[in-house]
Amino acid sequence: MTNRDTLPSNLDARSRNGLVLVLGWVCILLGAVLAAGGVWLITLDGSLYYALAGAGLFATGVLLNHHRLAAVWLYLVVWVGTLGWAWWEVGADLWAQVPRLVAPTLILVLVLICIPALSRRR
Amino acid sequence: MCHPLPRIVLSLAALLITAAVPLQAQQADTPPPSQETLPTADLLEGDAAEEEGGSAEQMAAPAPEPLMQMGSDWPYYGGDAQATRFSTLDQITPENVARLEPAFTYHTGDLPTGEAEGMYSPEVTPLKLGDDLLMCSAMNILISVDAATGEENWRFNPGVPNEAIPYGATCRGVTIYTDPEAAPDDLCATRVVQGTLDAKLVAVDAQTGAPCEAFGENGTVDLWQDLGERVPGWYAVTAPPTLARGILVTGAQVLDGQAEDAPSGVIRGYDAVTGELAWAWDLAAPEQNRHGPPEGETYTRGTPNMWTMGVADEELGYVYMPLGNSAVDYYGSNRSEAENEYATSLVAIDVTTGEEVWHFQTVRNDVWDYDLGSQPTLLDWQGRPAILLPSKQGDIYLLDRETGEPLTPVEELTGLPQGKIEPDYISDSQPVSAWHTLRKAPLTEKDMWGFTPIDQLWCRIQFRRAIYEGFYTPPSAERPWIQYPGYNGGSDWGSVAVDVERGVIVANYNDVPNYNQLIPRADADEVGLKPIDQVEQRAGAPEGAGDPQSGSPYAINVNAGWRNDVTGMPCTRPPYGGIRAIDLETGETLWDRPLGTARRNGPFGIPSMLPFDIGTPNNGGSVVTASGLVFIAAATDNLFRAIDIETGETLWSAELPAGGQANPITYEVDGQQYVMVTAMGHHFMESGVGDEVMAWALPAD
Repeated sequence: MTNRDTLPSNLDARSRNGLVLVLGWVCILLGAVLAAGGVWLITLDGSLYYALAGAGLFATGVLLNHHRLAAVWLYLVVWVGTLGWAWWEVGADLWAQVPRLVAPTLILVLVLICIPALSRRR
Repeated sequence: MCHPLPRIVLSLAALLITAAVPLQAQQADTPPPSQETLPTADLLEGDAAEEEGGSAEQMAAPAPEPLMQMGSDWPYYGGDAQATRFSTLDQITPENVARLEPAFTYHTGDLPTGEAEGMYSPEVTPLKLGDDLLMCSAMNILISVDAATGEENWRFNPGVPNEAIPYGATCRGVTIYTDPEAAPDDLCATRVVQGTLDAKLVAVDAQTGAPCEAFGENGTVDLWQDLGERVPGWYAVTAPPTLARGILVTGAQVLDGQAEDAPSGVIRGYDAVTGELAWAWDLAAPEQNRHGPPEGETYTRGTPNMWTMGVADEELGYVYMPLGNSAVDYYGSNRSEAENEYATSLVAIDVTTGEEVWHFQTVRNDVWDYDLGSQPTLLDWQGRPAILLPSKQGDIYLLDRETGEPLTPVEELTGLPQGKIEPDYISDSQPVSAWHTLRKAPLTEKDMWGFTPIDQLWCRIQFRRAIYEGFYTPPSAERPWIQYPGYNGGSDWGSVAVDVERGVIVANYNDVPNYNQLIPRADADEVGLKPIDQVEQRAGAPEGAGDPQSGSPYAINVNAGWRNDVTGMPCTRPPYGGIRAIDLETGETLWDRPLGTARRNGPFGIPSMLPFDIGTPNNGGSVVTASGLVFIAAATDNLFRAIDIETGETLWSAELPAGGQANPITYEVDGQQYVMVTAMGHHFMESGVGDEVMAWALPAD
């Protein structure tokens, strides 16, 4: 007989591991797109934000794929930086904040959900 | 979250190749007077015999006739003859407006079929006279409906073919004329007149809908006369004629961007009883063509046209005509002097003679398609007879009605960029109203928008790649340029309403850029852009693939509302449209708010259902009532709403089955006040299709 107490948490852990992998690759992909486009924007004398945020997101994805807790800390830095930058650009204009904050915050929530599946060491 | 910004279908992807059309000679010189002008000379010499003779009718100078009073009616397109859109009715108030209930819905039955699918933009505003509503449908079916019940009295279908549709199937309204010399029971004593898409004036009896046989030929005047080759869809009337002293004055929409050798923008006055040509005002040959061009010639081709609603001062005998731009909108070096003088001007014409009295130009050498689209409003302003003129750039001017002199400060923008395409032609200075403008600050990279950082980034890249030097950035070919505000306004054909008792202007407006690029002729030929007269089959409503501008070295590609090519969302942040109240004395803003919720709009065309005021693009004006209510639909959320004129707060709204891109009206029958708007949708505004004429009233207690 299987252990009734451990079964749910085993499933939980397995799905969390799956989420970590999927989220990791999503972050790598989106981060790469943002970073590439962001570099293009910098060459056109545009904002530095997208290249930086894209690099941060890319690195977060790599760390997630390695199940490293550092991914959470790194993404928190990216998210707090995003928050500050968004406020500096458009302040309390809620509609203008939609592209700046909605998707990054969604990713933050997903990253936080991953915490139990991440470890402090490599 | 964002709205599907209207994308102008500048022309068809299917338009194919054309070689450059030879530049057309403009007739600026003035040959000797034509035969038709001679009787006037006879009259001046006091030839009594002539005066009594057969030409007496031609010579009698039209005298002022009584104006229709508004009161419980809506007898003119703009409400009253002054086009204030202000009603003295006050049964519906800010306190009870929330109790409004549907009174009736009338279906015109005019819905697109065949090649007209996706080309309907009816923009219809009914008139109300006595017990009847009088209107046209998108395809010019004239209809009379009982104003209290919505039951149809009669209809008359002039049989306009689908191929006559220019940019869209539009009939903004009709004109009512009562012949002062007819007995009240005579057929056509009161008549309903419209201009049609296939370029006719059609007059029918207001009581029965029977054609007025004495008007033109069996009630029809052919406006293609003396315009040159008939090309269906190239020359179409979409606005009601302007009436002054028994003369019906009309221009027409000349389909934009096709070719320099396009039908003339001539403005013509016709006798409202007989349909005879009273005069023509051809801005490039006003003397020569006053009574029609010489045998075998046409009115000057390619000249700026007048597609919108004018207004008339019956006492002065002047009609005020807001002109658009030349046929080729985005290139100007080979325009004539006359075109440069009059394009995008308000022109006052003496309706008794057809002569220009004055004109006031709002753009010098317009290469932005900033047509004057808003109907002007007549006012008494600080003791002066004034005319109020809103523009697509958002500027609001007040001019002396007699002289055209500005009554409010007009300033000069100087040192404007002149670009690389035609720096000698682009003006380095432009007039702006220092009294009031609806225009917002120039765009910056921060104004770019999207749903996620990625589409926002894409728009920021496009912003940086484009040429943008603020307001009046001139056209460019090597890279796109940003035009802000875009050609949808500011203020467009819905114009403004003026509460003459409170002294408040209510102005709704658009706040969207266009993302444009000129296409060198060789490239345009390669992708096959050619004008309407050389296309075998016009496609329905295509994506904005470019207008050929034949005869100029460049075609044009416009991304109207500058939408992201992947998501369809706008590249700039909301709001995309607003409404504001302006103090008529000082020009100061009293309140200003976004107009339109996000409920119908979202990425990839998915409705977001969000009830928040995001401020959508809007087309169509407002009505103001003495009780302090503003009624307006216009926005792409398909809501009809009542707004408190004191605060700007929405007090009531109703969902429409299709977009209300039309000017609403209010009227009274048997002591009951109604508000009405047509909900017929609009292809450019992407607000569906409908045939509903809808009325609301307070419930009987």
